[in-house]
Amino acid sequence: MPEFILEADTVEFSYPDGTRALQGVFMRIPRGAKVAVLGSNGAGKTTLFLHFNGILRPAGGRVRFDGREVRYDHRSLMQLRKNVGIVFQDPDSQLFSASVFQEISFGPLNLGLPREEVRRRVEEAMQATEITGLKDKPTHLLSYGQKKRVSIADILAMEPAVIICDEPTAWLDPKHAEQVMELFKRINNGGTTVILSTHDVDMAYSWADYIFIMMHGTVIGEGTPEEVFQDGELLFRADLARPRLVETWAQLRNKGLLPADLPLPRSWTELFELVPTRRAPGTGGPAPVYVLDREGTPACAACSARRR
Amino acid sequence: MFAIDQYAYTSRLRPVHPGEKLAFALVTMVICLASVSPAAPLAVLLIMTGAVLFRAGIPWRFYLKLMTLPLSFLIIGVLTVAVSISTGPPPPLLSGRTLGGITIGFTAASLQLAVLLFVKSLGAVSCLYFLSLTTPMVEVISLLRRFKVPALFVELMSLIYRFIFVIMETAEKMYVAQSSRWGYASIKTAYISLGQLVANLFGKSYHRSQALFTALQSRCYNGDLRVLETPRAPSRSNIMLIAAVDLFLAVLALYTGGGLIARIHP
Ligand SMILES: Nc1ncnc2c1ncn2[C@@H]1O[C@H](COP(=O)(O)OP(=O)(O)OP(=O)(O)O)[C@@H](O)[C@H]1O
Ligand SMILES: [Mg+2]
Repeated sequence: MPEFILEADTVEFSYPDGTRALQGVFMRIPRGAKVAVLGSNGAGKTTLFLHFNGILRPAGGRVRFDGREVRYDHRSLMQLRKNVGIVFQDPDSQLFSASVFQEISFGPLNLGLPREEVRRRVEEAMQATEITGLKDKPTHLLSYGQKKRVSIADILAMEPAVIICDEPTAWLDPKHAEQVMELFKRINNGGTTVILSTHDVDMAYSWADYIFIMMHGTVIGEGTPEEVFQDGELLFRADLARPRLVETWAQLRNKGLLPADLPLPRSWTELFELVPTRRAPGTGGPAPVYVLDREGTPACAACSARRR
Repeated sequence: MFAIDQYAYTSRLRPVHPGEKLAFALVTMVICLASVSPAAPLAVLLIMTGAVLFRAGIPWRFYLKLMTLPLSFLIIGVLTVAVSISTGPPPPLLSGRTLGGITIGFTAASLQLAVLLFVKSLGAVSCLYFLSLTTPMVEVISLLRRFKVPALFVELMSLIYRFIFVIMETAEKMYVAQSSRWGYASIKTAYISLGQLVANLFGKSYHRSQALFTALQSRCYNGDLRVLETPRAPSRSNIMLIAAVDLFLAVLALYTGGGLIARIHP
């Protein structure tokens, strides 16, 4: 089996109005990985995704799935779309049916599966996205987050080898954003390659195995989250902020509160475990924290809190 | 219209097989319309109202409002039937007067016809309300699909139904965005804003239909919007109940065939 499940090899594409959306994109997606594609608005993420699924055809370069170059006859396209599913940015342009159950059944039915199998897949997809309770609700009475989860279930039910999700957490509240990311982790654990596009560096840092950074229709950097987010120059060029976790870690290290040779932590819990507890000399209890009060003389934080 | 849609999804009769509800509404409506006496239509009106209020749990205020919607048309229509105007020798009037050779008034026959028309229309309307307040559009469409109505028709219907809401939402958002910037402050700006809204809505709808097509394509769409139906078992007791009620109505319609008023004034 080829190491890379999807490859874009110097793909070029222009929209009919002349916008050069992709200008020689080179991107190779490792099989079974959690991949995040970062890039500002208009960088070409959505356009590239549409190439991975055969909706758009490159004007130059080629796209490969599973090591074979994508062909654009009807049968090859169906085969590709069966294997590569896209969850679109705006659920309202994806959901065509007013019934949640019927909506999700559309994809698997197109794959020519028997009815019982379709039913099983729809039930499973609804369970995975926790929308079983919404089964009989019409799509137009769902909230945005619920619609988003239905649109994810749409693709899950097709059980593709690669799931691409365009901005899964945009407009979701923090709780549901977290849930969706957990869901993608679970999907990935089952062996599915997951590709997300996002503007959220914090999320990309803690979630992804591998990161691509796009700008003006090309890939300007790639690597593991540790590599990408320690490359200050790359982040600057891409107009991206450092993840807060990395920033905090760097600051703590620069101030000598963390040893310099420790690896970059992947979660806040990991970071907090690295921070040594300083003991007050002699007592064995935690050292008091000093803050400067108005006169500039150090005062005990606990005392000043009491004074207020 | 949107309120009806919401009630359809939340009514207590939602779990009942849509085919049963459709059959009940249609058969009852046919009996109501075929009846030549007001007794059966009156019974239909009572039964349907009872079903909507007590079985489906629709608030009576809302139902009353719905029933008054056709009332204004109905009253005008019924009045033109009830009032007879004649130039010849005066017919046997129940009440009325003659002015310069023209007689205006009610005759027994015209009054009878008007009453019949009135209750028949209200009865038929109540049947339609029963259906639309208890059966969501999605299920009506599924039913049509099962009855082998041409796929093109069913698919169009379901897409239009879905897009009515998408477009409504888009229009609503644009309206809010405009009015929050004083777009509807005066009559003049209101006309301008409305014009822009409609023009934009058209463009956006077109864009949306393109986006939808792309999304469908990426799920292996090949010209057929095939979806899976959840099978529903019809309930024997419901069918018996429907048969009994409709039988009763049919007998009532036949038995009172001569017409109520005709009997009082032979
Ligand atoms: N249908 C279209 N017609 C013409 N130009 C388009 C079309 N879709 C996108 N573009 C242009 O192509 C470029 C890349 O757009 P694309 O949607 O791929 O960006 P993106 O990285 O997905 O951005 P975002 O983060 O905002 O979703 C942009 O300059 C955009 O204006
Ligand atoms: Mg995009």
